[in-house]
Amino acid sequence: MSAATGRGGVTLQGAVKRHGELTVLHGVDLQIRPGEFFVLLGPSGSGKTTTLRVLAGLESISAGRVLMDGEDVTERDPGDRDVAMVFQSYALYPHMTVAQNIGFPLKMLGRPASEVAQAVTAAAQRVSIDHLLARRPGQLSGGQQQRVALARAIVRQPRLFLLDEPLSNLDARLRLETRVELKKLQRTLGVTTVYVTHDQEEAMTLADRIAVFMEGRIVQVGTPAEVFGRPTHAAVAGFIGTPPMNLLDGTWHRDAVAVDGGGRVAVGVHSDAPRAVRLGIRPGDLRLVAADGVPAEVELVEELGDSRIAVLHAGAQRLKLKSAEALPLAEGQAVHLAAEPRHTHLFDRASGERLN
Amino acid sequence: MIAGRGPGALARRLALAAVAGLLLSVWAFPVLWALLTSFKSERDVLAYPPVWWFEPTLEHYREVLFGASSILPNLWSSVVVASVTTVGTMLLALPAAYAVARLRYPGRRASGFYVLATQMLPPVGLVIPYYLALQKAGALDTYGGMVLIYLTFSLPFAIWLMVSYFEDVPPEMEEAALLDHAGRLGAFWHVVLPQVRGGIAVTTVFVFLNAWNEFLFAVVLGGNKVRTVTVAMFNFISVEQTLWAKLAAGAMVAMAPVILIGLLAQRHIVKGLTVGAVKGGGRR
Repeated sequence: MSAATGRGGVTLQGAVKRHGELTVLHGVDLQIRPGEFFVLLGPSGSGKTTTLRVLAGLESISAGRVLMDGEDVTERDPGDRDVAMVFQSYALYPHMTVAQNIGFPLKMLGRPASEVAQAVTAAAQRVSIDHLLARRPGQLSGGQQQRVALARAIVRQPRLFLLDEPLSNLDARLRLETRVELKKLQRTLGVTTVYVTHDQEEAMTLADRIAVFMEGRIVQVGTPAEVFGRPTHAAVAGFIGTPPMNLLDGTWHRDAVAVDGGGRVAVGVHSDAPRAVRLGIRPGDLRLVAADGVPAEVELVEELGDSRIAVLHAGAQRLKLKSAEALPLAEGQAVHLAAEPRHTHLFDRASGERLN
Repeated sequence: MIAGRGPGALARRLALAAVAGLLLSVWAFPVLWALLTSFKSERDVLAYPPVWWFEPTLEHYREVLFGASSILPNLWSSVVVASVTTVGTMLLALPAAYAVARLRYPGRRASGFYVLATQMLPPVGLVIPYYLALQKAGALDTYGGMVLIYLTFSLPFAIWLMVSYFEDVPPEMEEAALLDHAGRLGAFWHVVLPQVRGGIAVTTVFVFLNAWNEFLFAVVLGGNKVRTVTVAMFNFISVEQTLWAKLAAGAMVAMAPVILIGLLAQRHIVKGLTVGAVKGGGRR
């Protein structure tokens, strides 16, 4: 199987999807490059799965266009788009053997049996299930079923892979292993891949680029480093990271933010007039200081082995501090928190847009 | 089920077996009685108190199979009517039920209820309109007319039964087939239909049984050309006398094909009736 290079560019232009009164997608624009591992990330109900289904042709759109390799495929049936999909439930055909499952798309394309058999064996070997070809899906473990679904997708070398939370039904350990394999597989095949997940860790590790979905809109598109390091919206900041970014309501005036409930944090950028903002600081960027900063009280400390997380509250606002070092903190202890100005993120309180 | 342990479990199983035996005997009694009767002479049949020890005779079987009042032609009529009804019903009901289960169209709920409502109508209320309609169409006492009328009640029943089986097939499975180049019809044929095999078996058997055992419409709308076995048996009851033993022998003969079909389909029926209770591996 050769790498399908140069194929599989996808463009989504102003995609709108309505279910009666309800609008699920409010004009989604996307540009996915050939060979890219592109992740659609967002909480449930944010429109990421709908977008994937629009690409597959399983959902029509109320407005907008879908382009693949420059062709308009908006009105094309799923079978005529040359895309393969792995479903969250795998959607294997229970009455067929593994070999028949994998070979089904080729059989439907009318390929000769000998060619199908060859392609099935090759695809099965790629995902290490060639010893299971005679079994039926019901006799396989979840991880094996998942591989069958993958093999069925790669067997016909489509221009686009669509993966809908393919790892969510696996147990934690298997999920990590499969994640690595999936990434390697995509690298060797070179097929453009669109991957839906609500797990940001999965998104960060797998993606070349991520599109973050919120309430039927894309709020940010970027590399994992960009999305993590410079979220363009408070909603993205509050979603990405384990734990996600602390967001403190406060007032930005001159070079600092006065946090509601007490304390000040220098932000390194200037505002002439006082402005209602949300101040974002990653838990790992928070430091304990002897005095000044933001006064807070320790609620509890979570031990994670290689790191520990202190849950604190400053006035009515809760925040988390993550540290690689030991935290000699007791519950109820009063502390002071600070952060480097370059580690602070400023968002407009009303719109959530990034300000610095 | 966990294997019984201790005296409590044993008593429970004995009690269950007793109840099951009692219920079974209630259902089995008429059949066994008819079987017994079919081997008695007409005189022994009417003996009171009933005779348990008698000389069995095959005379009635000979008579209903090969004699002057042979029911073989009627059996053939029944086979034709029931088979054509069953095949026609399934050919129409499968796509119809699939549509009701899958497609979102206005009035879907209402149409589902309408299908069920036709089952609530007492058939006797329809006999006279159907008779007049068939008479006007010149279709009284024809296979075509009979099958047409049978379709009117078997079709809604079959659709209603099949819808739930189709609804149990995960939509993603079909979507996967669509993406695998199968097309709508291909997805239906290669992926959906095999999932509802059990349901098809159950529905086929029920539709066939209903048509086979139907009496009311058969006796009114049939005649000399199309006389099903139920009507033929009815003819053993006349004003002067009722030939109980021949009736019983006829019933036994008429039951045979049905029992055969039941045995053949049993595996599928049990599977079909429990579909949805436990989903196959890999599904949500």
